[in-house]
Amino acid sequence: MNGIHGDRWYRGISAIACAAVVIAGCASIPAPTEQMAVSRSALANAASAGGAEYAPVEMRAAQEKMDRASRAMDKEEYENARRLAEEAQADARLAEKKAQSAKAQVAASVTQDDLRVLREEINRKNK
Amino acid sequence: MKNHRFAMSLLAAAVLAACSTLPASDSPLAQARSDYSSAQSDLQIASLAPNELRQAGDSLDKANRASSKGESSVVVDHLAYVTKQQVAIARETAGQKAAELAVANASAERDRVRLDARTRDADTAQRSAEYSQRQSEAAQRSAEYAQRQSEASQRNADASQLRSEASQRSAEASQLSAEASQRQASTERQAANDAQLNTMAARQQTQDAESRSRRLEAQLKEMEAKKTERGMVITLSDVLFDTNRAQLRSGGVRDVQKLADFFKQYPQRNVMIEGFTDSTGSNSSNQDLSDKRAQSVRTALLDKGVGADRITWRGYGEAYPVASNDTAAGRQQNRRVEIVVSDDGGTIAPR
Repeated sequence: MNGIHGDRWYRGISAIACAAVVIAGCASIPAPTEQMAVSRSALANAASAGGAEYAPVEMRAAQEKMDRASRAMDKEEYENARRLAEEAQADARLAEKKAQSAKAQVAASVTQDDLRVLREEINRKNK
Repeated sequence: MKNHRFAMSLLAAAVLAACSTLPASDSPLAQARSDYSSAQSDLQIASLAPNELRQAGDSLDKANRASSKGESSVVVDHLAYVTKQQVAIARETAGQKAAELAVANASAERDRVRLDARTRDADTAQRSAEYSQRQSEAAQRSAEYAQRQSEASQRNADASQLRSEASQRSAEASQLSAEASQRQASTERQAANDAQLNTMAARQQTQDAESRSRRLEAQLKEMEAKKTERGMVITLSDVLFDTNRAQLRSGGVRDVQKLADFFKQYPQRNVMIEGFTDSTGSNSSNQDLSDKRAQSVRTALLDKGVGADRITWRGYGEAYPVASNDTAAGRQQNRRVEIVVSDDGGTIAPR
């Protein structure tokens, strides 16, 4: 609807309104301590699953994001901290899954080799 | 009232501002949607990691709602990022599960392969056992057959034994007959020898006979014997007798001696003495003279040792002249004694 204000005015007001919404949002969110704990645990699991060896990129990303989340927590940027911690958790879980999957693949190929050897032995006996 | 409208329009503007832009194709949300879509259509991920996939789907819903609500790119990008990582988690989880299944299957597969092998071995053993069974049955039948064969052979052997004994006896018989043949052969050889000797003797005899015969011929020739149909004839002439008498002169005696020797040499020859006169004088006196002259020769032969059974005599008087009685010479020729020598068998054909 046509108001008395120009375009530039509306754009400026929108920016301020968005910021107001953001600031309003920030002010009401609690500290994501639970998320931080969950993410730290996921990182530890990933490390013990061998994530450093099998998924170094994901492990580094997870660690880095946890560090930024901690700093965000210190600055009370709780929304930011929560998002960083969530991403760190996802990275850590991915690292963990990659490590587990890689190990399972190795075991599977070993057993396939064993099976092949067994079959060859049996065929040789039957000749 | 101006404030309410102001806030409302701001809000509407914000929503419009957010809704009016679709996410760019390379934006995090677009990538997250694409990732999720791929994973959702992946059968392995859908079946092996359904929970992880659903979690990613929930995150994508949140991201889409945030995007359509016009939330800031920080929020939307964050949710898109989480979605993307969760899709990757689902993918990795599916891979892990698949590998674990392969490991579990491998163990079952190993057991199945081993079981197959044992089953095959058992089947092979079964077939071997059946084969051995049939073999042993065949061997059994072979043994029975061999048994019968050996019994038959035994009977054959016994028969052969008997035959060999029979052969033995026949061989002995042959031996005996061979010995008999040998003896017979030696007998025959002996006989042959004897026959040969006989032949030689006979040949000798023949030769002797021939030589005798030649001597006989010679002698007869010497005595001027003539060959006639009746045999050899030796004529003792008139001059060998005293005239008109039957007494032999010495010449006649010598001739008769030769005759006697001849007849002693050839004992199988007989002699017929026939006396003849000429026609001078009477028939009766001629007959008598011819008889006496014949007898005289006979007596002389007897004296010389010739057997009486060999000598026959006959007087013919003036019959059978050999020359004309009209001349003295003829008449002398007619006055004769003929000695007929028989053949080998002693036969003299009658006149």
